[in-house]
Amino acid sequence: MKNLIWTDNLNTGIDVIDKQHKRIVEYINNLYGALSNKADKTAVRDVIDELVDYTMTHFAFEEGMLDEYDYAQLDAHKALHEQFAAQVRELRDRFDSSEDASVELNNLMVTWLFNHILHEDAKYVPFIPKSRH
Amino acid sequence: MAKFVWTDQLNVGIDVIDQQHRRIVEYINQLDDARSNGMSNDEISWLLNDLVDYTISHFGFEESLQEEAKYPFLTSHKKVHELFTKRIADFQKRAEQGEDVVKGLNSLLVTWLFNHIKRDDNDYVESVKAYLAQKQDFVERKRGLFARLFG
Repeated sequence: MKNLIWTDNLNTGIDVIDKQHKRIVEYINNLYGALSNKADKTAVRDVIDELVDYTMTHFAFEEGMLDEYDYAQLDAHKALHEQFAAQVRELRDRFDSSEDASVELNNLMVTWLFNHILHEDAKYVPFIPKSRH
Repeated sequence: MAKFVWTDQLNVGIDVIDQQHRRIVEYINQLDDARSNGMSNDEISWLLNDLVDYTISHFGFEESLQEEAKYPFLTSHKKVHELFTKRIADFQKRAEQGEDVVKGLNSLLVTWLFNHIKRDDNDYVESVKAYLAQKQDFVERKRGLFARLFG
């Protein structure tokens, strides 16, 4: 479990998307903070809900953008989001019965997000008009 | 549950939009008070439907403004609205089946609306403000179509 630090190589160059990614990082760090401070279960659950809620909203926004600019790999990109969302939902459900799942959730977010930005989001960047950056 | 207190930082600076957002916040607070005011499940469902109806009209208004203003992330913004509408519909269904959804719903509404206004809505402000400065009749033209918002 660790804190995430934003580095410039994570910027896609599309301002609105970068802001959203940074916000997700803040939420992941909030979760890390809550877990390190041994916050009570309800407080951790609230942080998880906020993190999940914001991440899903970001996916919807990003998919809308890819749709608007006819990104050919949209379906594959969506499938990755869906697969991730399913994993997150499962961990959230498990958290309700076992608090350990919150550490796993934090680990998943940490590993997944930066990989996804660097490898998957990077693929769509050339297809978004420069005027939108 | 905490009251949703309107603060100036939530103003996007477009009057007609700010008024609608404030109205939604009033609805959220009314719903939050429902239990302490002794409202029945039926009355809560009714209030919830009213909130949803108003919010969907607001989304439509906002999207039509973004479309005319040629906001480049209109489709994205619409998808975010759609996702939210789906999640709320799920709460509505559960409320109709008699489940007490007020607490969970309140937390979603407060968190979501706050984030949405502060982030997603702020992103369109520049395009829309520039457009409204040229087309001052926009609100008048839409008044009929979105009568729900101007009642």
